[in-house]
Amino acid sequence: MSQILKAIKTILGLAASKPMTFSFPPDMPLTELHRGRQFYKPELCKGCKICSMVCPNNAILMVEREKSEENKTGLQPQIDFRKCCFCGLCVDNCPTGALSFTNFPILLTMKPETLNYTPEMLAIPPTLEHPEPPKIKNAVSWARSRSIWIINYMTGCCFIEAVPWVASSFDMERFGLIAVGSPRHADAMIVGGYVTPKTLKRIIRIYSLIPQPKWVISLGNCPMTGGTYWDSYNTIKDISKYIPVDIWIAGCPPRPEPIGVAVVHAIQAIQGGYNGKEEKTNTDAGKMKLPTYTLLEADSGQAQIDLVFGSQHSASGNFNMSLTLDGEVVVDATPNPGYLHRGFEKLMEYRTWIQNIMLVPRICVLDGASYELAYSGVSEKLASIEVPLRGQYLRVIQAELSRIQSHQMNLGFGGAATGFDTNERIIWGDRDQVLLLLEELTGARIYHIFNTIGGVRRDIQPDFHTKANQLISYLRKRLQIYDDLFFHNKTFIDRTQGLGVLTQETAIANDVTGPNLRATGVNFDIRTATPYEAYKDIGVKVVTATKGDAYHRFLCRRQEIEESLNIIERALDKLPSGPVCATRTAEDKKITWRLKIPQGEAFHVVEAGRGELCFHAISTGENVPYRVKVRGPTFGTILVMFPKLLHGVKIADVPVVYWSLDQCPADHDR
Amino acid sequence: MPNPQNILPTGYNAMNNEESEPLSFSTTLKSQFALNNIRIQSNLLSLTTDTTTYVNLARYLKEHDFDRCLTISATDWLDTNEFEIYYLVHNLKNNIYMKVAVRIPRKKPELTSLSTVWESAAMHEREMWELFGITFVGNLMLKPLFLEDWTNLPPLRKDFNWRDYVAQEYYKTEEG
Repeated sequence: MSQILKAIKTILGLAASKPMTFSFPPDMPLTELHRGRQFYKPELCKGCKICSMVCPNNAILMVEREKSEENKTGLQPQIDFRKCCFCGLCVDNCPTGALSFTNFPILLTMKPETLNYTPEMLAIPPTLEHPEPPKIKNAVSWARSRSIWIINYMTGCCFIEAVPWVASSFDMERFGLIAVGSPRHADAMIVGGYVTPKTLKRIIRIYSLIPQPKWVISLGNCPMTGGTYWDSYNTIKDISKYIPVDIWIAGCPPRPEPIGVAVVHAIQAIQGGYNGKEEKTNTDAGKMKLPTYTLLEADSGQAQIDLVFGSQHSASGNFNMSLTLDGEVVVDATPNPGYLHRGFEKLMEYRTWIQNIMLVPRICVLDGASYELAYSGVSEKLASIEVPLRGQYLRVIQAELSRIQSHQMNLGFGGAATGFDTNERIIWGDRDQVLLLLEELTGARIYHIFNTIGGVRRDIQPDFHTKANQLISYLRKRLQIYDDLFFHNKTFIDRTQGLGVLTQETAIANDVTGPNLRATGVNFDIRTATPYEAYKDIGVKVVTATKGDAYHRFLCRRQEIEESLNIIERALDKLPSGPVCATRTAEDKKITWRLKIPQGEAFHVVEAGRGELCFHAISTGENVPYRVKVRGPTFGTILVMFPKLLHGVKIADVPVVYWSLDQCPADHDR
Repeated sequence: MPNPQNILPTGYNAMNNEESEPLSFSTTLKSQFALNNIRIQSNLLSLTTDTTTYVNLARYLKEHDFDRCLTISATDWLDTNEFEIYYLVHNLKNNIYMKVAVRIPRKKPELTSLSTVWESAAMHEREMWELFGITFVGNLMLKPLFLEDWTNLPPLRKDFNWRDYVAQEYYKTEEG
């Protein structure tokens, strides 16, 4: 009874407090440091072509202009925002400062060709233009425009920035938008990021199931040109060849603001009577046709039926599982991954050691910082580079902030899987505050690209301490709210306790790591077992639980958020002075984007949000790696342990077990 | 529910035995298997061996607390015309990582499966089968994992002309 009263009190408290939702449009919660559209100063450019050579995405093309005293070649950069991932290598390497970043994130269009910016266009400072909304055509078009139902298809990383729209921070419901699970109920589809051939088959199917009129919004660069994966053997380069797309949003990933602007544009177009492009699908002569599923007939006399869970399911992520059911109990489960297989290990063999840093966080969008850390660690081991102490501390702060937002994401999914949306909206709303602080630190919300070989790319701003301490005290208060609403909530406890129990032996034998392993009572955390960066100085208290069920896995993550806040506080207190990045290798060579790393091989292990992340790199003395193996933390957990854990679980509990293991399909698919 | 203390001592902290444990374990291994090329880098032991020792050592390691099989992976060495296959395992009690590698000819890429030794090994071998085309004898799971309807050379092999494939497959219409 007292718990219920406490929950009611918390809800009333929340209702009385300041709303968490950002206003829209202006007043964008942008930080000055966000890496947005580039700005070009032609008078400073020497035409040296470095920016076009260093770009890992081939986004910069040098075009001929008038020759001058300063610019003897007459070449000037033209940036294609269908390809640019805003990693900042061009700005970093520009010798004269002719290229710089603005914090303007909004790049969207109905015609992708217009995103190719000539030097003249780049020299104009960006502004947000609001076109005059068209007149409302009739009552039907008005009603349509105010109640767009959107189908969730989390094809790739860009979906991470559509998530804040579900949360209370951006709150899409104020536009009349609702996310639905079934294509038959939907009006619009958001293609959230890169598309592999395996996913494309499902997208075509989903698209053809949506009733007329239908609209398609595409997020990010990958559906336009392949983006970062322009040379990947398993990524579709242009989805408009297969289905028509109405609005394209550029970015990698785009911030939530351009998604909002796109929605406003869509609402205005629809109220003016725009009914989408003509419906057509292209299966490329049957190559992109979905394989047929063999379902058991209902009257076959067998009690068991087969059910496909995912890859388009509100709770599945882009991952697919085929379940055999007896009644509503799972008797067998077979995973079918690969929807996000982009071939990272191959891609990395074709990019220089420094260029790869912008690639690695994309392996796992939910916790990219750990991947940067692991990759820079393995490269530094090979090149025998010592990272300055201040650089190590800043890396720890970045990694812990990233861990917090990753765990918050997971707790939100836990809420969604148990049918407890309040939790999801509140925690994901708080997550946006963490992302804004990460942007203050690194220049980006999701793909920070903060690390480089030798340290971090820049020092903190003078007011970072104040902002970080504000966030820490804010989140500590919010953790109490999570407890009141979530962890002490009898409904949630009944739903998750005793579900999907892992014992220590099975967890270890099936290579389960991270919070999932610690929830069974095993005290194993790489940060203390094989300490890296400054963790030995700062100290880590390892969080464990005893029962090993879904509840305790969520609880472990909640406690880890608390410990991460302590770590950040200690790191900020002890933050040493000095440089943040080494500039020369052990052999006294300057570290440049073409750095050659001596022959050899190395392993580096870090504790990512999901557990033990291991990078193995082999160098043959070139400026590109010979081989990189990424062993992600979810490979064993999801592909090996999860199917076994489902035996005897009720169908309604499958998503709960799934999210309690903290899935990231992008991580095991690579 | 087993007592956690039976598996790991409380206040377990591997930093304390970082120096001594890997060294003493490598000495034991040397005498047991007549190995003389073990490299020690902090808590990682690595060695290259032949195909028989590859399997025998796996069984021995499994019996000696190397319960976690982190990965089985391959490297394609075109210059010597060999595949290097290794497993990386971890001993949770003493916090030792161990990498055991073996080289097999590219012409006949076959190796005994470790799926009977470690439960999680089968899935890693399946990945290597798909991405490198290496057959693991005794693994019952060898079927496509990530790719659907893939007919070309296994993509992570060095002789798979990847850029050519991408240009043909995805860019041919634009380029005419």
